[in-house]
Formats: sequence, C-alpha cells, structure tokens
Amino acid sequence: MLDTAYRVEIPGGIHLEAQVVGPIPRIFAFTIDLVIRGIILAALSIASIPLGLDGVGGGFFLILLFVIEWLYPVLFELLARGQTPGKKLLGIAVVNDDLSPVTLGSSLVRNLLRTVDFLPFFYLAGVVTMLSNRHFQRLGDLAAGTLVISIAKSAQAASLEDVPPLAPVTQLSRSEQTAIVEFLQRSAHLSQPRQQELATILEGITHQAGEDGVERLRRHGAWYLGMR
Amino acid sequence: MNLDKLQIDACMRSGWQALDLGLLMARAWFRTLFVASLLPMLPLAIALLTVFWKSPFWALFILWWLKPFWERLPLFLASRLLFGERPAVWSSMRSLPLKDIIPWLLWRRFSLQRAFDNPVTVLEDLKGRPRRQRLRVLHGKYSDVALSNQFVCCCFEWLLAFSLVALFDFFIPGSFGIHYYDGFGDLTLTGEWIFTLAAILSMALVIPFHSMAGFALYLNRRIELEAWDIEISFRNIAHRRRQRQRPTPAQVLLLPLLVLVTALFTAGTPGYAEAFDGHERESAAELIEQVLQGEDFGQERVVRKWRFKDWSNDAEEAFPEWIIDFLAWLEAHQEFWQGWSGAASWLKILLVALFGGLLFYLARRYRGPLSRLVKSRAIEDPAEILFGLDVTPESLPADVPAQVMCLWDEGASRAALSLLYRASLSRLIDRYQVAFHGSHTEVECASLVQARGIESLSEYFWELTAVWRRLAYGHRLPAGDTVRALCDDWTRELASDTE
Repeated sequence: MLDTAYRVEIPGGIHLEAQVVGPIPRIFAFTIDLVIRGIILAALSIASIPLGLDGVGGGFFLILLFVIEWLYPVLFELLARGQTPGKKLLGIAVVNDDLSPVTLGSSLVRNLLRTVDFLPFFYLAGVVTMLSNRHFQRLGDLAAGTLVISIAKSAQAASLEDVPPLAPVTQLSRSEQTAIVEFLQRSAHLSQPRQQELATILEGITHQAGEDGVERLRRHGAWYLGMR
Repeated sequence: MNLDKLQIDACMRSGWQALDLGLLMARAWFRTLFVASLLPMLPLAIALLTVFWKSPFWALFILWWLKPFWERLPLFLASRLLFGERPAVWSSMRSLPLKDIIPWLLWRRFSLQRAFDNPVTVLEDLKGRPRRQRLRVLHGKYSDVALSNQFVCCCFEWLLAFSLVALFDFFIPGSFGIHYYDGFGDLTLTGEWIFTLAAILSMALVIPFHSMAGFALYLNRRIELEAWDIEISFRNIAHRRRQRQRPTPAQVLLLPLLVLVTALFTAGTPGYAEAFDGHERESAAELIEQVLQGEDFGQERVVRKWRFKDWSNDAEEAFPEWIIDFLAWLEAHQEFWQGWSGAASWLKILLVALFGGLLFYLARRYRGPLSRLVKSRAIEDPAEILFGLDVTPESLPADVPAQVMCLWDEGASRAALSLLYRASLSRLIDRYQVAFHGSHTEVECASLVQARGIESLSEYFWELTAVWRRLAYGHRLPAGDTVRALCDDWTRELASDTE
C-alpha cells in the first residue's frame, strides 16, 4: 500500500503518525529562503559600502555572508520549531526521525551536508536521494536522522448538520463509526447518485435503500457525533 | 473499477501531499514507467539524430515538442498498476492511446497543467465540451498545485540534463568546451551531441515522476469527489458483517462436536488454576536468587590498563587553580617583564603559557577517552583447577617422574597418569604461561600448547593427552613402556632447567 504516512512507535507504546514531504514543496520552500537570504545579503552589502568594500566593509560582508549562508537554516530550525520562513509558508517542518523536535546536532549535520546534496549541480544528489528512499530524505537528512513532515492544518472545521440522530442497531468498531461520520460530513460534496450508491453498500445495516438509506446513514452519523 | 485492489492508501490529502504520493507511485513502479517513456521515444530519436546529425538540437526540439505523446504510455500503464495488475510494456505499446493527440500537440502543448489534465483524455476518453466541463469540476482548488508540479518538473528536467553533462565533464580530462558561466554559449558539435543525449535521458527520467504526480493529484480529486475512502470502508463493514453472519462449512460441522468434547472433558478434571500453589512461587524466586549468586554465574577478571593519576577526584571539571595563580603572577609582574624585554615578549610568554595550560587542561579533562586509545589488555589469573585436577605448582611432588613410576609399579595406573598429566599442565602454566581456562577441553589445551610453536613440546603434549584421554574416558591402559617413555620425555621437555 503506497502512502506518504510516516509512523513511529515511541517508548510507552504510543503510535505517532506524520505525513512526509517530498521534493516539490521543499524546492519551493528552498527558493523562498534563497530569495530572503538574497535580500538580506543585498541589504548588508549596501550597508557595508560606507566602510569600504575593498577594506573593512568587504571583510565584514564576507564574514556575514559566511554566517548567513551556513547558519541561516540552522538558526531558524532551532528557534522556529524546525521551520525556516520558506518552510513556514509551505506548512512543512524539519523533525528528528522519531518525530521529536530537531536538535542542534542534527540540524547542523543536515545543513552542513547541503554541500554534498548540491553536487554536481543544483541539488541533483539531494533530489536523487530523496526519490530513492521512502521518506524523501536527502543525504543530509539520512546522516542527521531527520525528515521533513507536513504540519499544515488540513481539516476544515466541520459544521454540525441539523440531522435528527438515530441509534444504529448494529454495533460497529471505531474505524467503522468514523467512516459513517465521514459520510455525514462529506455528503455535501458528494453527488446525490453517489451518496445513494454508497448507502446501498450498507443496506445490511440500515435496512433501507436509496434515498432513505442515505438519510438513515446520515442520522446514524449524527448519533455517532454525539447528538443524542 | 475495483477499489479493493487499489494500491494506494485512499484518504483525504492536501494537494501537496497528493504530489508526494505521486512521486512515491513513480518510485514504486519506476522501472516499468521509465521503460514505457523511453521505449516509444527511441526509434524516433535514432531516426531524428541520424537526419539532424550535424545539429542535434533540432532533433531534441522535436522530441521535446512531442512530450505529451511520450507521457501517455506511462500514464496508461500506471492506471493498470494502480489496481494491482501487471501490464506488459510491449503489448501495451501496440494499443498506445492516440486519442485527441492533435490538440495536445498544438495549442494544448502550452497547457500548464498537462499532467493533471492528461488522465481525462487518456483514461476517461473525453473530448470537446464534456472534457471542458469535467476539467472545470476537477480543477477546483488544485490549479496552483498542478501548476507547481509542471513548473518544478520542467525546471528540474533541464537542470538534470545540465547536471548530467557537467558530471560527465568532471570525469574526463580537459573539457569538451562547456562554459558554465555563460550558459551553453557556443558548444562544439560533440558538446551538442552530449547535451542532446543527456536531455533525452533526463526527459525519460523525469516523465514518470511528473506524470505520476499529476495523476496522483487527479486521483486525489476523485477520491475527494467520489469518496473512494468511504466506499472502501463501507465495503469492509459489509464484508465483515456477512462473514460474521454466515458460518463457514467447517464451523457448521465442527461446532456440535466441539461442544460435546468440551462438555465431556470439563466435567471431571479440575481446572488448571487450582493446581497452582502460591508458596512454590516464593521459594522458586529464592532458589533462582541462590543459583544466580553461585560461582557459575558471573566472572571475575583482573584488567590492567593505562590511566592518568587521580590528582583531584572531587574537582574534576574545575580549571586548575595554579594556572590562574600563574597568570595572576604574570600580570602582577607586568612592569618587570616589560622592562626586561618589551610588551611583545611577555605577550608571547603569556600566550605560550596559556596554550600549554590549555593543552594540559584538555589532556586532564579528556583523560578517559585518551586512555582508551592505549590498547588495554586483559590478564587473567592462571587457572588452578582443570578437569577437576589441581594444577598449582605447590600440589606437585618434588620428583614427578619418580613418583609416577612408583605409582605405576604399585598398580595405581590412573593415579600415575593423572599425576603426570596434571604436572604437565601445571608446568605449562607456570613456565610457558599457556592461558588455560576452566572451560577448555583436553584437545583445546593441546591446541593451545601447539599454538606456542615449540614443536617437540607440542608433540609430547599431544601424545600425553591422547594416552590420558584413552585411560580417563576409555579405560584403556597404556603399555608400561609408553608410560616410561613419557616420564623420560617429561624430564626432558618440562622438568629440566626449571629448578
């Protein structure tokens, strides 16, 4: 089963799940960061003109260039919960591969190894490694034991619909109940024939077909949602 | 469409996550999809390159322009792979979908959401007005994501070609005339050829990822609009209910039998739970504790290794006082030093002292890890009892061979040979420091002796071991002459110059 989910079990038997993020959003995030860095550096180079570009100002600028080029991602990843500004805009973040917050060591390693990922040009090595493992880790991520996950809030707030609740006759497991609740909440986006088609599958539970089956299922959904 | 065989996890995803899923699909089916995108391209590529052999960029341009066509076979195969089928590339190629190809190669060539729109043409087979309506439904909120996919894949395709050329260039001595900084300003014909081949390869490499990302986005939209995930869950519920209601034939046959058998057996015998005695558990725990305390568990060994002397255990982390004192003293006598040889000189001394102090501090601070660099060697106490025989030198009589012969003549053959063997082991430990261990067998002991490399000694000991084993375990007496010979040799091999 192909899936972007990344699952870990932490000590204590708790299962955590996250969605890994592939190259396309990460390339955009990188480009945004590149632009931001470019703006900062342009401002700095203008600021260092009064000091003399081939004198103190030039040295000052080169030192800052070094610091910004190498430490910009590390700084943001540590201080902004694994998100550089570009990553924040795309709703993605760097975490350790046990889904704990990224640490100084791992952030340093993954960002210093950008040099290797860049080889031979334009992050070819990085993209190729990302596409050759399941969790889209580039070489730096593999070395540091980190991965990039999606932390965008996806679910739109579901409105409670005005449906009279009805207790189902059959007892269902939790995942099965969730499916019926989903049916209620997403039925607004489904066409009428499709709703009936879906409801017909569960005729054994609702004992109704067609229009009535849909209505019955929606009422069960409302009951599972707690409107009793 | 049989959703039970769907190879992807159908659930609600954001557009970006759908793209990632597409890349995973391309990764999983990469070999098939790569072959499917390269194979139709090859004959035309060869023909075009033969025609335009002096300006291969024209061939590349035509191949690139026909890209919507090359994307169709991978997409067609993926739609089969998605439901767990294993389509053959070769046979699918004959039914290469040509639907609606003209618009795709003319004005729709400029479409910015090609990978997303392609399935509607290739798989749903819609044209004209129905196609436009369908696309309006599908696009929805995903237009920007589809656009991003197109943009990134397009850029990456050309960067990949460029990188491949550069990579090739890195590995040949000299260059074939690439000027990295002004694009590909003026290439030689060789350079053009290499770039063209790299671009064709990179096109075939990127097509699977690009079209799968678009396909996944299309699937995501359909999952959303048609609630595939809910259908799968509902089918599972219905399936489980049916199974619960309808017992299998085996159940029908076995159930009465099982009830009967269980009834028969549970009638007479007491339950297992009653047989358990709580006291046994406590005493068992004690016993286990006792056994674990015994000699057989755990080993003591003396390990000797290098380490730094322990000057101040309690203030391990503190910076040594005397360096600070020394620096203070240097500072206090600043004028003196200045008067003596100028500021630079005392600064130098200060720096050297600081550096020395730092080195010393580091050596002390990290003495643990440093001492680990020095190879440590474990030295074990020599064994005292082997095979139940006391092998300490003190337990031996003064003249072993004489004692052995005496015992032999008395008829205590076992005692005689065991004394000889024991004495040999003792001498080997004492004189040759052979590292016998309580767990070694006789043969292992002999091998250890052989490993010492003294030929006559090892020969003698092998023979003695053989004689001893035959007597000890096989109860077969050696001839008197053999014993005598062994005694004589013992004097030569093991007794001679020790006293």
